[in-house]
Amino acid sequence: MNIENTKAQMKKGVLEFCILSVLSSGDQYPSEIIEKMKEAKLIVVEGTLYPLLMRLKNDGLLSYRWEESLSGPPRKYYKLTPVGKQYLKELKTTWTELVNAVNKTIEKK
Amino acid sequence: MNRTITMNLGGIIFHIEEDAYDILNRYLSTIKGYFKDSEGRDEIMTDIESRIGEMLQEKVNNTKQAVLLSDVESVIAVMGKPEDFAGEGTQSENRTNTESSSEENKSSYPNNKRRRVFRDVDNKIVGGVCAGVANYFNFDPIWMRAAFAISFFAFGSGFLLYIILWIIIPKARTTAEKLEMHGEKVDVNNIGKAVNDEFEGFKRRMNEFGDKAKSPETKERIRTTAQKATDFFGDVFHNMIHVFGKIIAFFLVFIGIALMVGLLATIFGKGTISVFNSPTNNIHFSLYEFSSAVLPADLPVVLIVIAFILFFGVPLLSLIYAGIRHLFGIKQKNRIVKYVANSLWLIGLGLVIYIGFEIGNDFSEQASSKQKMELFQPKGQVLTLDLKQLPDDDLDATYEHHKRHKVKLGDWTMISKDDNKFSIGYPVMDIVRSETDSVQVIVIKTASGYDKKEAAYRAKNIEYSISQKDSSLVFNSYFDINNADKLRAQDVKIIVKIPLNKVIYLSKRMEKIIFDIHNENDALDYDMVNRRWIMTESELKCIDCKGLETFSKK
Repeated sequence: MNIENTKAQMKKGVLEFCILSVLSSGDQYPSEIIEKMKEAKLIVVEGTLYPLLMRLKNDGLLSYRWEESLSGPPRKYYKLTPVGKQYLKELKTTWTELVNAVNKTIEKK
Repeated sequence: MNRTITMNLGGIIFHIEEDAYDILNRYLSTIKGYFKDSEGRDEIMTDIESRIGEMLQEKVNNTKQAVLLSDVESVIAVMGKPEDFAGEGTQSENRTNTESSSEENKSSYPNNKRRRVFRDVDNKIVGGVCAGVANYFNFDPIWMRAAFAISFFAFGSGFLLYIILWIIIPKARTTAEKLEMHGEKVDVNNIGKAVNDEFEGFKRRMNEFGDKAKSPETKERIRTTAQKATDFFGDVFHNMIHVFGKIIAFFLVFIGIALMVGLLATIFGKGTISVFNSPTNNIHFSLYEFSSAVLPADLPVVLIVIAFILFFGVPLLSLIYAGIRHLFGIKQKNRIVKYVANSLWLIGLGLVIYIGFEIGNDFSEQASSKQKMELFQPKGQVLTLDLKQLPDDDLDATYEHHKRHKVKLGDWTMISKDDNKFSIGYPVMDIVRSETDSVQVIVIKTASGYDKKEAAYRAKNIEYSISQKDSSLVFNSYFDINNADKLRAQDVKIIVKIPLNKVIYLSKRMEKIIFDIHNENDALDYDMVNRRWIMTESELKCIDCKGLETFSKK
């Protein structure tokens, strides 16, 4: 079994949740999202983000708008839709429960 | 030293070294390959490209302008290998498979990016029209400029076309537009590439249909497949219509320009309008002559010129305008142009109506003047009626004779004689019995006018001459009217009165003017000429008409 692969799989699972959380604090464009995710060491390669954003958008959790930028071409700003907010709320509950459960399991060891 | 390529990545322009470009290009194609089946591939690609563009922008500055291989490599390292992240997109794949390929039928980024025509204001001499059009078709603007410069002299048609193009074609404002206006170079490689791309796309779509048709699916899937097939053939059909539309647009522009040149030449050139070129109907006349013949004296010729330009020119210009817009696929609308064109045409229409009304007004009353001549004729002799031979009779001779122009509409003929006269053909002649012993010729001249007085004045002014020579009467085939009198339904009727038992001979040429003369033989006009006739109690009777009798009694 490949340890790296398992690690990556674990991260992947929470990525969606993290992106939604990052966007819950306000509209952002991909580079900003990437920056935050990188700070938290949640993603290693940036390419990962784009298919995810696309999927979330297609599922109706995100929407985007174009905004002119001073330094270059227009930027795509992503924001949470009401459905996305609801989704995030549910994920948060699940996450807290999961963390508690996992912590308990580890402590018991 | 290394060659660089100009590249547009997410709307930013880069100079990139060739080897670096190759790597980047391959990288992007690989990513695209990974997302082959996923929904929104183009969108993901656009996002990725703009992110890469952003990162590369940080790596270039004024002193280091080119993107190097190392820059591209570091960017790729940050973005990650396609196989590392492409899996993300495919999770949703199964769910959305049915909808996925409809987007693939559309163009794939960025190969099929459409070229558009813009005015190239960076290389402009006047408005950047020539440079822009030359960019679109990929040749040196100097040829375009030369063509326009030459066409300026074709009655200013080039000038007009230039103004139209200037109005229709938008200016290239953004960098993206500036890039868009430069077409790909047309050489064998690129044509080959384009054909190959098209073929690959076709093959791919066909395979998709095939796969879908083969797999056992629900009714809905089959329906979507069928629908996709229709979409595809709809696409092909749509493209054909599109190409056909362009061809039509091209012809519209071509015809519009040709007619425009014709119109301008008619108006400003001293040349003649030549229409209906058939032996019975033809017009060889200049607009100036036409207006001086028809327009009321108090209306200036410039009025009819303006009326003509507006009434005929505006629709022609609109035709050219619409054609060019369609040809270059320009979508922007220009309301002002529309309003200006509409109001100019309405002004033209108003002028035409006004002029027509003014002319029509001159036809409201009719009057005639009668002249009577009594001729002494020796009794036993045959009186020959003949028509004067004029050089104008022959149309071609007239046309060669540039100063004399001719309008021929059926039996009605008009010739411009010199600057102040028109000859009109033909008078109409009737032959009846005279109450006296002498031959009488009555000439009735009619004309129209604003009132009776004017009409009578015009009628009197008609010049018509008959000459007598020994035992023959020679009639003119035309009557003349003064330029100042204008064409106002002038007509001349000749009644020749022949005493009882007098013999006359009608020459061959007389068939042009005799009209429906009553005779015992019931001979038609063209059967009456070249024969001798005797006046009976009531009407003419043929003397040498053997063979004719049987014919005409049928």
